[in-house]
Amino acid sequence: MTTEARNSHPIYFVGAFATGGLLTFMVHLNGELARYGNPLFSSWTAHGTGIIAAVILLLMVHRRRTPRVEKAPNAPWWAYFGGISGAATVILTSTAVNSPLGLSGTLALGLAGQVAFSVAADSWGLFGLPKRRPDRRDIAALGLVVTGAALIILFGRGAA
Amino acid sequence: MTVFILLACLGGVLVGLSRQLNGRLSISTTPLIASFWNHAIGFAALTCLGLFVGGLLPAGAAEAPWYAYLGGPIGVIFVAAGSWVIARIGAVNSALLIIGGQMVTGVAFDYISAVPASFWANATGIVLIVGGMMVSRGRRKVGGSQ
Repeated sequence: MTTEARNSHPIYFVGAFATGGLLTFMVHLNGELARYGNPLFSSWTAHGTGIIAAVILLLMVHRRRTPRVEKAPNAPWWAYFGGISGAATVILTSTAVNSPLGLSGTLALGLAGQVAFSVAADSWGLFGLPKRRPDRRDIAALGLVVTGAALIILFGRGAA
Repeated sequence: MTVFILLACLGGVLVGLSRQLNGRLSISTTPLIASFWNHAIGFAALTCLGLFVGGLLPAGAAEAPWYAYLGGPIGVIFVAAGSWVIARIGAVNSALLIIGGQMVTGVAFDYISAVPASFWANATGIVLIVGGMMVSRGRRKVGGSQ
């Protein structure tokens, strides 16, 4: 058990939870765009407007701050490809949604994939992030959250 | 059918992979720069795909309300925040809290917009999620020792 694995400041937890809230709105808005166009158009437009928003934010942030001291050494080349993985997600999930799995099946299975990957990523410290061997409490917490999420996805939302 | 099940699971794996890669990039740069590259590379890839298969500019797109275009800017914040968080609390905790936040706000959103929903399934789901988040936080209050 390394100490950095237990960085306990509540701001990270509140931040991560709020990030999940943002995801709800993002999924809703991108879904609206896909309804008028198609999923590829929606994702393409979201990435395009995202670039503009990122540039504006970067200009604002960098104007205020003095240039920072160099942090860690350069990122490996593959670290730049998170966007490919994200773009591919759109294609896979919009294919799965239009199969007998439907939206709820796709969401539930996606949840399973995300959980399996995150446990593997922490256990082995995949892709350059610190290794944090998940303990029994992590797994119990994850089990509760995933069961709750599956309940909402499969039986709660729009099901009644 | 098996193919679709695999595709749906792989979709989730790719979400985690994306967060992991962006988190690594943000360690060497900043979360906002990582988010910029995420969108720039994703946009380039989707442009290539769109030019190849078509459908980049569908007919009905002009009728979409203006706010539907805010998903992209929200995504920039989402990716930056995810990169910031995963480098600090790890992939499992990030996934757990982001999923929890998404589900709780999703249920609230459905109730506000009067989407028919099963109260008991949602209520039980939220109780389990909040319980899971408390279990995850509980250990940290005792200073990280087992």
